[in-house]
Amino acid sequence: MFLSRRVALALLATASLLLASLSIAQEATEAPAETPGAIFEVEGQWKVATVVKLTGIAWFDRMETGIGWISKDYPSVTAFQQGPAQADAAQQVQVIEDLLAQGVDALCVIPFQPETVEPVLKRARENGVVVITHESSAQENIDFDIEAFDNAAYGVHLMDALAERMNYEGEYTVFVGSLTSKTHNEWVDAAIAHQREKYPKMTFVGDKNESFDDPQKAYERMQELLIAFPNLRGVQGSASTDVVGVGQAVEEAGLQDKIAVVGTSLPSISRDLIKTGAIDMISFWDPALAGYACNMLAILQLEGLMPEEVFEGKLPEEGFGFENLEGYEEMTLVDRVFFGAAWVDVTAENVDEWDF
Amino acid sequence: MSEEILRVQGISKSFAGVQALNHVDLTINRGEIACLVGENGSGKSTFIKIICGVYTPDEGEIFLNGRRYKQLRPIDSIHEGVQVIFQDFSLFPNLTVAENIALNQQVAQGRRFVNWREVNAIARQALERINVSIPLDVTVSELSVANKQLVAISRAMLQNARLIIMDEPTTALTHREVEALYKVVRGLQAQGISVLFVSHKLNEVQALAERVIIFRNGMKVIDTPAQEMTQEKIAYYMTGHDIAESRYEYQAKDAPIALEVSNLSRKGAFSDVSFRLRAGEIVGVTGLLGSGRTELALALFGAQPAESGTISLGGQTVSIRSIQDAVRHGIGYVPEDRLTEGLFLEQSIANNIVVRIMKSFAGRGGLIDSVRKAAEASNWVQHLSIKTRNPQLPVKSLSGGNQQRVVIAKWLASLPRVLILNGPTVGVDVGSKEEIHTIIKELAQQGLAILVISDDIPELFQICNRILLMQRGRLVNEFETQAIDEATLADHLLETVNQGQ
Amino acid sequence: MPSIRNLLMRQEVIIGLTIVALSIFIGLVNPSFFSTANVFRILRATIIVGMFAMGVLIVLISGGIDVSFPAIAVFAMYVTVSLIRSGTLPDNLILSYILAALIGLGLGLFNAIFIAWLRLPTLIVTLGTLSLFRGVLLFFVGSQRIRIAEVSPSLTELSRANLLTVENPGGGVANLHLAFAFLIVLAVIVWLLLRYTMLGRSIYAIGGDREAAERVGFNIRRTQFFIYAFVGLLAGITGLTFSALSREADPFSIVGIELDVIAAVVLGGASITGGRGTVIGTLLGVLLITLMSSSLVLLGISSDWQRFVVGLLIIIGTTIPVLQARLRRRVAA
Repeated sequence: MFLSRRVALALLATASLLLASLSIAQEATEAPAETPGAIFEVEGQWKVATVVKLTGIAWFDRMETGIGWISKDYPSVTAFQQGPAQADAAQQVQVIEDLLAQGVDALCVIPFQPETVEPVLKRARENGVVVITHESSAQENIDFDIEAFDNAAYGVHLMDALAERMNYEGEYTVFVGSLTSKTHNEWVDAAIAHQREKYPKMTFVGDKNESFDDPQKAYERMQELLIAFPNLRGVQGSASTDVVGVGQAVEEAGLQDKIAVVGTSLPSISRDLIKTGAIDMISFWDPALAGYACNMLAILQLEGLMPEEVFEGKLPEEGFGFENLEGYEEMTLVDRVFFGAAWVDVTAENVDEWDF
Repeated sequence: MSEEILRVQGISKSFAGVQALNHVDLTINRGEIACLVGENGSGKSTFIKIICGVYTPDEGEIFLNGRRYKQLRPIDSIHEGVQVIFQDFSLFPNLTVAENIALNQQVAQGRRFVNWREVNAIARQALERINVSIPLDVTVSELSVANKQLVAISRAMLQNARLIIMDEPTTALTHREVEALYKVVRGLQAQGISVLFVSHKLNEVQALAERVIIFRNGMKVIDTPAQEMTQEKIAYYMTGHDIAESRYEYQAKDAPIALEVSNLSRKGAFSDVSFRLRAGEIVGVTGLLGSGRTELALALFGAQPAESGTISLGGQTVSIRSIQDAVRHGIGYVPEDRLTEGLFLEQSIANNIVVRIMKSFAGRGGLIDSVRKAAEASNWVQHLSIKTRNPQLPVKSLSGGNQQRVVIAKWLASLPRVLILNGPTVGVDVGSKEEIHTIIKELAQQGLAILVISDDIPELFQICNRILLMQRGRLVNEFETQAIDEATLADHLLETVNQGQ
Repeated sequence: MPSIRNLLMRQEVIIGLTIVALSIFIGLVNPSFFSTANVFRILRATIIVGMFAMGVLIVLISGGIDVSFPAIAVFAMYVTVSLIRSGTLPDNLILSYILAALIGLGLGLFNAIFIAWLRLPTLIVTLGTLSLFRGVLLFFVGSQRIRIAEVSPSLTELSRANLLTVENPGGGVANLHLAFAFLIVLAVIVWLLLRYTMLGRSIYAIGGDREAAERVGFNIRRTQFFIYAFVGLLAGITGLTFSALSREADPFSIVGIELDVIAAVVLGGASITGGRGTVIGTLLGVLLITLMSSSLVLLGISSDWQRFVVGLLIIIGTTIPVLQARLRRRVAA
């Protein structure tokens, strides 16, 4: 009797915890922007899953908005997004495994670690699932990969922006999410090579810094870099959280005017630091458009509408692209990788134009 | 003139139909030292728990300091000055001596904050009252058992103790520590505090007690001044029959050598130890604590292997680097602390007995032949007369003596050639002790070579044909038990002490 | 006569010496290690781990373990910031801290019900609530990162508040964050609690021997309720402090910190089986762990080797107490 009373108490406590949480009003997400609109007829009842690196971060929340547009523009397609709650390669594989078990027609994957997902993507394709990746241009087991832009070109673009703000001289360093994250490394490798060629008065110091996509780690690392390299004048970030952590360290040290910080990020997480000048410029591509483009490729492939030539790694003569998607109207193709030209630069002047 | 501290009249208590106490009357006077003697299961523990209010008797009356209690609660018992020093002492190993002594009082007074100067002062006074000195700022885990006991006693004193009950207080003490404890107990007596001393050891009863009370099967069988008691009488009242005291006579003097040890050394434990052990011999190894006797046993068993020297079994030199080596070569070891070293307490008696030879019951597909296993186990249960209704009961259901037998059975089941017994009867009552001795002698007569590590000199004389004396890691002397008597051996032991100082 | 040998038996001394040796070593490799900016940086990095460690210390002394505190912290932090964003809670620092503390207290009591009342194993309970609290947070409250600067001027002010600011010789400034004072105040409170209150002593007593503590007359259930509620409260306060330090409320943050914190506390001399541990030792343990994991760039270790080196340092750091315990046993024998 006594024990059961205790159990009842425990259950009561659990229930009240849930109720208390429910009563905290959930914030309504902003109304979705206008969709790009359908550009062709889709017949099949396709189920297309987008698997992101990590859920809950603004970048992929924005991507989810784009995935939502797909469902609106093509009502017969069920498009949705999933991903692990922690930045972890094994957990991402688990998410894909679960989706395969549930049965999907196509997978759009933004791999956390390209080689880790190969086996599960291979199995997916063997089972007739269409596989499109994004931010992973050397993936083996895919139908196609799509990149918002050529990574080397983007890295060069960021370096030019950094060099200009450093007056083309002084020490700089770079951040990557992880040494195994391919895209980040392509950006910074191209940037460093470009600097060595074009800006001889600039010096790369230290090593590529890993942030593990965690702004706190980037912050702590930047603090340490400021001590190890007192003459540091510039930083180029890769993960969307890199410049956030770096910018905080720069601002706290009162070095906004001395150190240039540029990198990939999103206005929603860097706005305050852009305004104080701690971050000088961020670039990004609109993840909503990228996600949308990924899903479009998957749907074209499922519907059998993909032009013949692309399977040989060539573009059709009239070109190939989605006329309704900015930056993806005219894509280039190398092997099985499509490249857009979809980067956007944001500084203190135009940061308020973006709401994600 | 004597003033009664405790009087119980006609108390009985039964558990699930088993009569643990049966109409016991007992009185303890102020400033008296009484010894309570009884085998395991005789009702001693039940009696103590009734006195301190943990159990309520089914019938009978309890008077404490003349006040009658029908329902004695633990708190009443404490208020009347009853303090029990349990075998585990109920001390906090992580706290200092001072805090351990003062804590009860501080809690009882409902304190909210700690005044460390006061805590130290209280503890110092408490230790002074029993006239011992222990550093106050040492954590209790670093104290010897004897000092832990003294801390527990001085803590009890702070609760205005009038009657201190000590549950087998000498079990883990050395001779000198026992002497020191006697002194403390006599000091308590001088302050008018009564002591009820629970013990198995007959010599303690005689050395300390003014009165002896013996329980058997839940009844008080005798309550008499100590000087009227003899060893034989105590043993008789405890067990209900006479205990024959006999020495072990080793017959086959030219039996093959089972174990030969030469120049065995381990740094910091023992050095240059050499001896032989023939089949059928029972050889005792004795020495004071720290003489290296236990370390030698552990080396032979591979638990703490020797660093140099040789060990031969049946004429063949073997290398013993681990317990597995020792077991493979037929050496069995029965540890001193049967509760922590030898047994899986939650497992059945049968499983504990056959655990070492479980593999031999594996039939086709590696499945255990449980019929054969049960037969083997019950064979040993019978052979060693382990008192249990069912070998499938957990070992923890057995009394200490019977648990010790299970450990012995476990080792015999793997048919060893040499058996090492470390303190085979520590904490075992006199009746069980005698039976264990009989078993050991029978085993030797069947050709097993046995090494007994013990500091219980009477025991060594009862079962060994030879005794090796160790001192500071060296084997210093060897005696045929037929050739000397207990007093001589004790002298030798003391001599080594004196040399040691 | 406290010989050198006895002194070396004290975990605090060992850890302290290790810290000094490591500092000298790093300083030799890179002299800027001893700059004010670097000292401030390392002290700031100890704030969050140190505040959590004060709670974990109490739990470990009592013989329990709590791995749910990061979830409690992030829960309290995110709910508080969400309520400020939605306008339900006025943007007032004191009110925010009171709310975060109360949420933490509530979740801590939730743990306590299972541990003190139902007597379930502490590890199992807190592993369960670790997932439960995070799950409830993400599912019912939200999963979006919130920038503090966009919702709360008062927390933003805290995130920019410093205890000390020193001009850097090479330009810029070196700051010691105000929250370092929180850690110090908290450490003093916990030290007083453990050392000078009977409640504190009952925590040591329970960890030393639960049964004996019961016999002495301590109310174990009440003490356990206090312990887990207090840890919850501390976690709530620490969580909100974390959001000020990191300038954001991210429901996915403070993941995995429990291992660092427990490692620091154990390194500082607390016993995982209960009964032992001091505030000073814990602070030193936190400092040592922080020092080891945040001086790799100064040492010039390349990124490829950094994880390896952190692992190696932790193994070396935790071997010391084991060797020391063995030494102690040998001396006692």
